[in-house]
Parts: sequence; C-alpha cells; structure tokens
Amino acid sequence: MQRLEFIGRFARNRGALIGAVLILVVALMALLAPLFFPVDPLRIVGQPELWPGEDPDFPLGTDSLGRDMLSMIVHGARATLLIGLFASAVATLIGVSVGATAGYFGGWIDEIAMRAAELFQTIPNLIFVLTIVVILGSTLANIVIAIGIVSWTPIARMTRAEFLALRDREFVQACRAMGMGDFRIIAGEILPNALPPVIVLSSLVVAGAILFESAVSFLGLGDPNVASWGRLVGDGRQLIRSSWYICAIPGVAIMITVLCLNLIGDGLNDALNPKLRDR
Amino acid sequence: MSLLSLRDVHVRFNTAAGVVRAVNGVSLDLAVGETLGLVGESGCGKSTLGKAIMKLVPIAGGEILVEGIDIAPLDRKQLTDMRRKVQMIFQDPYGSLNPRSTVGRSVAQPMVLAGWTAEATATRVETLLRWVGLPTDAKQRYPHEFSGGQRQRIGIARALALSPRLIICDEPVSALDVSVRAQVINLLEDLKGEFGVSYLFISHDLSVVEHIADRVAVMYLGTLAEVGGRDQIWRSPQHPYTKALLAAAPVANPRLARTRPRTVLQGELPSPLDPPAGCPFHSRCPIAQDRCKAERPTLRPVGGGALAACHFV
Repeated sequence: MQRLEFIGRFARNRGALIGAVLILVVALMALLAPLFFPVDPLRIVGQPELWPGEDPDFPLGTDSLGRDMLSMIVHGARATLLIGLFASAVATLIGVSVGATAGYFGGWIDEIAMRAAELFQTIPNLIFVLTIVVILGSTLANIVIAIGIVSWTPIARMTRAEFLALRDREFVQACRAMGMGDFRIIAGEILPNALPPVIVLSSLVVAGAILFESAVSFLGLGDPNVASWGRLVGDGRQLIRSSWYICAIPGVAIMITVLCLNLIGDGLNDALNPKLRDR
Repeated sequence: MSLLSLRDVHVRFNTAAGVVRAVNGVSLDLAVGETLGLVGESGCGKSTLGKAIMKLVPIAGGEILVEGIDIAPLDRKQLTDMRRKVQMIFQDPYGSLNPRSTVGRSVAQPMVLAGWTAEATATRVETLLRWVGLPTDAKQRYPHEFSGGQRQRIGIARALALSPRLIICDEPVSALDVSVRAQVINLLEDLKGEFGVSYLFISHDLSVVEHIADRVAVMYLGTLAEVGGRDQIWRSPQHPYTKALLAAAPVANPRLARTRPRTVLQGELPSPLDPPAGCPFHSRCPIAQDRCKAERPTLRPVGGGALAACHFV
C-alpha cells in the first residue's frame, strides 16, 4: 500500500520516470553484456578507426587499435555502474555512521566529527581522489574506496542534521523511557526516519562517482584491466581531431547516465520529501 | 512506604545564556493508588520534573526513590527494574509514536526489550490494544492512519505494556480536542480502577486536574508552592500563587465568575536563568514583604493536611 503510493509519487515526475527507465536499460545492458558480446571487449577484432556505420559488423565503429566500440561500451557499462554504486555505498556507509554518531550524541563527539568532515571538504575532490589512487595503486577496489572517502561529507552533514531534528522527538524519548540502548535507538528508531533525504543524496553521489572515475581513467590512472567509459574517452583523446567519435560515444554514454541519475535523485526527492507528504 | 518520593530534586541545564534551574529543590510523595496532579504555568518545570523521574534529563541533585530505591545514581542497565515500574505518556500524540513503525511494533517494544518471546508479545499487544479500546487490526497500521485520540490510546497501551505501578502523564490531553479529552481521561480512570496504577498527572489545565487528581501539587519557577488534597486546595487555597492560579481559571457560570474574588498577578514569570533570591514568587506576590526577598520559605503544614511554601499563611 505504502509502496504503491511511493511509486505513484515518483512516477508523477516525468523526468524521473524517463531517467529510471534509461538507467534500467543501461543496467540490463551491463548485466547481459557477456551474452551479446562473449568475446573480451579489449581484443582486436577488425580494422582500426572504422567510423560508426562504415562496417555493419561494428555499428559504433572501432577504436585506434581496431576494437569493437559497441562491445566496449556495453561491457564498460558494467564497470562504470559498479564503480558508481559501490563508491556511493562506501560514501553512504561512512557518512551515515559519522553523521548519526555526531548528531545523536552531540557535544565533543559532534565537534570532532564535524571538524574532521571540514578537513576532508577543504581538499579539492579530484586531487584528493588522484592522490589516494596513486598511493594505493590503480585497482578497481582502490578507486571505489578513494571516491567513497572523498564523497562522504555531504551525506554525514545531512544525516547529522536529520538526527539533530529527530533525537529529541517524543517517540525517541519514549524509547529511552523504556530503557532502549543508544545503538538500537539510532539504528532502529531514528535512522528509518532520517533516511529519505540521505537516499536522495546517495543517488546523486552515484552520478558524482561515475564522473570521478571517468576523470581518473581519462588521466590514465584507471584500472588497466577494466574497460570503463572514462578509460575509452581517455584512450581516444590522441585521435580527437581525426576520429572524435572514439571520445564522443563513451562521453555521451557517461552524460546520459549521469543525467538520468540526477533525474532519479530529483524524483526520489519529490517522492520522499516529508513536506509534500500529507499527514 | 510511598511509591514515589522526591527528596530535594534539582535539575539544571547548561545553556549558552547560563545555567537554567528548571527544577530547584522539589520534595514530594506519591502513595500507591493515588493520582497526584502537578499544575503550574508554562515553563515552571513541571514537565522537566516528570522527565527527571524517568531519567530523561540529567539530575543535578537530590534523591528520587521508587519503592524506596534511589534511582538518581543508577545507570541504564540498573534502571531496567525501575523502567518496568514507572512509565510515561507523552503530550504530543503525533510525535510520541515513530511514524515509520507499525502500531504493533511500537506497542511491542517494551516486551521485546524485556526479552519476551514473539508469541507472548503478540498476545500481549492484542490484549493491550483491546484494553485501550482499539481494534486488534490496528497493529498492522501506521500512526498517521489514526486520529489524535486514538494515537494517545496507543501511547497509553505502550505505557501499560509491562504493568507499571506508576505512569507519568505529561499533559496527556492538552493536544486533544475537547470532545476526545473526556474519553481519554475516562480511559485513564478505568485503567486505574482495574490495575491499581498510580498517576503523576502533569497539566496546566486546572479543570482536568480537578476532575482526575486526588491530591494536587502547585509548582512555580522550579519549586513547589503548595501541596494538598484536591478539595482542600480548590476550596481554600493558602498560597497566594495558588489563589491567583485558581482565580485565573475560567468558570462556566458567568454570574459566579463575576462574584468570585479576583487576584490578578502583576508582571511576568521571572527567568529561570536568574530566579529571584528568597521566595521565588516575591516579585509578583500581592502580600510580599521584606522577609520574602531574603529568606526562601519551605513547605510547612497550613492546616487541612496541606503544605504551603509561604511565610505569611
């Protein structure tokens, strides 16, 4: 009943609906990639620099080495989406833990946590990500962790603000009055009420993470064994004057995905915003 | 032995503006099966006193004895026993239930925390909902599907869960429509008759307190002004503040309202950040003298079993 209502509110936002459908298509593409293109996408399969439409075997053409662009895009969706989701999960985990602790306990715990968050915020994000990746090494897991470490601060602030507003509400006092422990109150009582705006933020962090990963790969610091979209853009940059489509195709894929994620974030905001919700 | 004894209880809050003395040396006794009304104007510390008894606010000094055991120094684990004996009903029926929990989950929480089995808990939840007059299918529903009065019943069911001896009612009907108020008050009285539970009934609504309370304690600026039997207080209030408070309450009969003596208080409630020295009421008292500015009066017998904190009654 409540779930149906939620979907209805989400779907009322047309942009969000389109975004969700497109993301679903991308996700399906990523899931079914090995079915459509069983061959390793990084293998050379044809002539180099075939323009899209030039050869019917390669609808999106081939890159400078003669690899199938379409296969790389479809396989790249896997890496790109996974990086986005996991990096957002890492950021949400850190952000919610820090924000909930700071907001619930307050006092010096709050002071320390928020000063730490500010410390992270003062470092330029991209440079921070690059530094961590260079130190830890260019593997997929490290890139995910690096993006998570950079992106948790807004989530922590949002969670803290929600906890500050909720911790003195009477239902929380009622839980304290029956002797409930702090952890149980935080995780079982306050968190479900604090989560909606955090979910919105997390969906936007997915989009941000994809952009970070693209930037890292573009600069040549990505995982060399993974064909992410950012890496395709980076690989094509030497030929941008002659064969610009090599950069443009994965670039458009990134743009559409990020746009869709932002639209979904907007839709979630509309659907979850308690102010629009009738009592 | 009293069910609840307060001995010189103090509650202070540190704020940016200074120390707020919300409760400033309150001593009070509540007998088994008794309903004690705690009245006073907004900001006098009556709700804070209720929360102090539940250990929801830090206690700065004094003793809070529940069946003879001082709970003030106990930590959370040691308080388990007391939590079973003393429970609370909150003012705001919209805020006192978790909007994302079903009613069943909210009411079941005390049993879950006490380690009951799932079956026993489910049976108990149904029993509780029946006692407070809600349909048993209420437990699958969410608080927003209920009216204010129904929600307050849910809050009462939750407070009754572990058969407490004492329930602190913090303005339980203030947020309700007048038409629903009587139903909730009657429910509280029925439950008292059935289970022998005692109430500390905190309210600023004198008519409600007059109806439900056996004894009444009047609070002013964190201290008690007068304590006595309900009829005693209503018929012959001794403390000048009690007189003013009762005179300010509206009376339904206009002819009676015109003839009754009127004591109109001057000035504002002093800030609890900087309470007046001596008697806290001297700045607004119609019978104040120099002694009141220097010496703080203590509660002393004034006849009829009542106690009042005033030098001149």
